[in-house]
Amino acid sequence: MGEVIVITSGKGGVGKTTTTANIGTALAMMGKRTVLLDTDIGLRNLDVVMGLENRIVYHLVDVTEKRCRLQQAMIKDKKLDTLSLIPAAQTRDKSAVSESQMKKVTDALKKEFDYVLIDCPAGIEQGFKNAVAGADRALVVTTPEISAVRDADRVIGLLEAAGLPQPQVIVNRVRFDMVRRGEMMNIEDILDILSVELIGIVADDEDIVISTNRGEPIAKNQLSAAGKSFRNIARRITGEDVPFFYDGTGKSFWRRVRAVFAR
Amino acid sequence: MTTDFFDKGDLPQGNTMLIEGPLRGGHKVDYDGNVVVMGDVNAGAEIRATGHVIIFGALRGMVHGGADGDVNAKVLALMLFPTQLRIADHITCPPEGYGEIAGRAPEIARISNGKVIIEQLAV
Repeated sequence: MGEVIVITSGKGGVGKTTTTANIGTALAMMGKRTVLLDTDIGLRNLDVVMGLENRIVYHLVDVTEKRCRLQQAMIKDKKLDTLSLIPAAQTRDKSAVSESQMKKVTDALKKEFDYVLIDCPAGIEQGFKNAVAGADRALVVTTPEISAVRDADRVIGLLEAAGLPQPQVIVNRVRFDMVRRGEMMNIEDILDILSVELIGIVADDEDIVISTNRGEPIAKNQLSAAGKSFRNIARRITGEDVPFFYDGTGKSFWRRVRAVFAR
Repeated sequence: MTTDFFDKGDLPQGNTMLIEGPLRGGHKVDYDGNVVVMGDVNAGAEIRATGHVIIFGALRGMVHGGADGDVNAKVLALMLFPTQLRIADHITCPPEGYGEIAGRAPEIARISNGKVIIEQLAV
């Protein structure tokens, strides 16, 4: 029986879709049968980020409205045969699907896949409720910005109220140079407020913009530090104990970061 | 065996709600009595209590003590840095630049001579 993981944030634009695509890719690269589910109905992006937009025949709402079988809506990744995508509908909105319909979909997917990753839309309304409906656990993505952390805190409260086990947090788009100058929140500040376990730190990386536009998730790129961060998150999800580069104390943290980012 | 340190007439009255924190953004507590939180109260959380409010953690949210007009109500926190603090009818906000000095020590907010004052708790 597989695990259903929802990737959420509250705040828009912090990197949920990019994270879902990359963690999914990394898990598939590890040989895990993985399916990505885009629940951002009306504003779908996961298909673009995966480079599969030209291959969409059926989507999530076709499944829930019984115009096709679940199998028919799955799109195999171009290169990784352990990875599939179920896209969202673009011409509908989030009222098109109900929580019980979502649960049926995720329950069915759990039987076939090791990991079902749900790309949750921004917000806390119906889209969020749908995405969370069938989830076994959640990952919360935030950036080191007060507004993102506030929204993450709100979402963590809602996830706890929904009965999910304590979520883990991914801090995305970190600019270590700014953290060192005291211009950006550091990881401890964020964990201090959110009081949840850290599962990943991803540095801000220009290569992500490039890879997104190309539809080639950066987790495939062995030279990229951000790609490695995503692969590490995937390893932690499978239960492996992967140490973080960062040790929490100002100076030595920076020295280690320098070594990693030396080009 | 009983210990009679206090004259029972001196004991404070009122129920107390005990919450295991942290209280997250969007959580709202409205209680007729005192409120004690074991943990932080994050920004976006709100506590409204008719009695005292005691936060055994960082108070970053909004708190209203003595909400029905009790000017003797007090607000305590290990780290007092609320977005807004109210006692009875008094509303206050942290002064500009307070963030840099907040968190030095546990503090107590109370009304003295008709206005809200904040004192460090000697430990």
